Amino acid sequence: MKDDLLALRDLDDGWLDRRVFWDRDVYELELERIFARCWLFVAHESQLPKPGSFLTTWMGEDHVLVVRRRDGSIGAYLNSCPHRGNRVCTAEAGTARGFVCNYHGWSFDLDGRLAGVHESAAFGREPTFDRSKLGLTPVAQLDTYKGLVFATFDPDAPPLRDFLGDFAFYLDVMLDNDEGGTEFAGGSITSVLDCNWKIAAENFAGDALHAGWTHASGAEAMLGRGVAGLSGDDTESYHVNVNGHCWEFNLDGVGNAATLGDRRIIDYLRANEARFTERLGPLRAKMVGSISSVNVFPNFSFLPGQNTFRTWQPKGPHRTELHTWVLVNRDAPEEVKDAWRKGAMMTFSPSGVFEMDDGENWELATRANQGVVTRRQRLYYGLGSDTAIEHPELPGNVHRGQVNDANQRAFYRRWSELLRAGTWDEVPS
Amino acid sequence: MSADVTSAAELKGCRVVLCAADDVPAGRMLRVVVPEAGPLLVANVDGTFHVTADTCTHAEASLSEGDLEGRTVVCPVHWAEFDLATGAALCFPATRALAVHPAAVEDGQVVAYIRGSREG
Repeated sequence: MKDDLLALRDLDDGWLDRRVFWDRDVYELELERIFARCWLFVAHESQLPKPGSFLTTWMGEDHVLVVRRRDGSIGAYLNSCPHRGNRVCTAEAGTARGFVCNYHGWSFDLDGRLAGVHESAAFGREPTFDRSKLGLTPVAQLDTYKGLVFATFDPDAPPLRDFLGDFAFYLDVMLDNDEGGTEFAGGSITSVLDCNWKIAAENFAGDALHAGWTHASGAEAMLGRGVAGLSGDDTESYHVNVNGHCWEFNLDGVGNAATLGDRRIIDYLRANEARFTERLGPLRAKMVGSISSVNVFPNFSFLPGQNTFRTWQPKGPHRTELHTWVLVNRDAPEEVKDAWRKGAMMTFSPSGVFEMDDGENWELATRANQGVVTRRQRLYYGLGSDTAIEHPELPGNVHRGQVNDANQRAFYRRWSELLRAGTWDEVPS
Repeated sequence: MSADVTSAAELKGCRVVLCAADDVPAGRMLRVVVPEAGPLLVANVDGTFHVTADTCTHAEASLSEGDLEGRTVVCPVHWAEFDLATGAALCFPATRALAVHPAAVEDGQVVAYIRGSREG
């Protein structure tokens, strides 16, 4: 029964079993086989500007401490003392020389090594006490892609560049449209949604459809008009996916950016279009602020144009902790960075006009599955079943038309492959 | 090179030779154990030698394994900070000052004039 569920046999026909959003044992398996194995976004390098800079974040339900070490490299460790398990760092972010557990005073340096213990004479007499074996547990692998820091708990996970595959071509739209690279504008917002994490992730993976309906009134508030229909001309819009990483977009250049309602942002995008084209070519240059949304598998999402970057951290099958940041080009004028930060707060923060629209829908879509009869009804994911195309410039699986379920199906196909694979070798490439 | 106490005539206490001045380049520290005073810390701050107790006043730790940042030594275990010239504890978790011993460079040797108890 369980294997049958995980196989998602009806997915290609456009149907999804609702139990994937509800069952506790499915969720536990996700923690083991997705969150403890995949590369997960843990930080932007700009959040760790100097030796001793640190932040804490989540990899699945494992709390991790990410630090800039003295040699300039980045380390990530479980934020749990090997003595009694207490957190060694209770702050969200800051600068420190090391971390001292609040319980028994064990201290750890920036390399995660045990530096000292309270009542050291007693431990010194203990033959079983070996400092070198009592450091913080590091992640198995850590790597960066153009400013983004990723980590995985699985030593057998493929290298980050293979995990991202050709999706790097698309990530460059946001990460490499400007010579100076990117940074996170200061601060981060955390909020809680009573929804399954996948409902949020799949929305960013491919759900252009909801924008014109869910966000109609919000768009009117920000723009003075609703969202234009997106399915009229599907020759200029796409769903693309690689290894379960998904990007839906059109080529209007500024459609997402315009929803922030700030002329300075549009002016910045227009003024730099030629430079974007120089770096990215004409097609990708039109994606920089266009109507689009992205999910890097499994739970790292962003919106080009609005520049909100976020992680959907799982907190049980029916709860998600949302962490958001705002990405800006490092060399953009300060007033443009400010405009983006404020614009993102007005639209995609807990009080933002669009975030609020989504949250209620996702919570009700999750909670409905509490009904045992409701849970038996499959959900329809059939849009765009015959939209796959070959494209001369776009790599990966490409589908024409952004009003589509192709990316959502790809997201759940990857989910299914990972949940059924005992090791990375068994994951189809 | 100069020392923070330059006139040996003014010094009181037991004269102890700790090391050659060349053993401790600028910006570095050295732990020296002498029977008269227990473990001592010799620090070279831009050519000025400071000698203090080496053991942190907070917990059992050798300050020589910590960091020297200007005139401040940082404990490697809980990152307490001390002013090497005055011995003052600069931040939590240390609250007691470090023993400071007058020091000088004499004939290329770092010498300290040990006063007070071994506890410092």
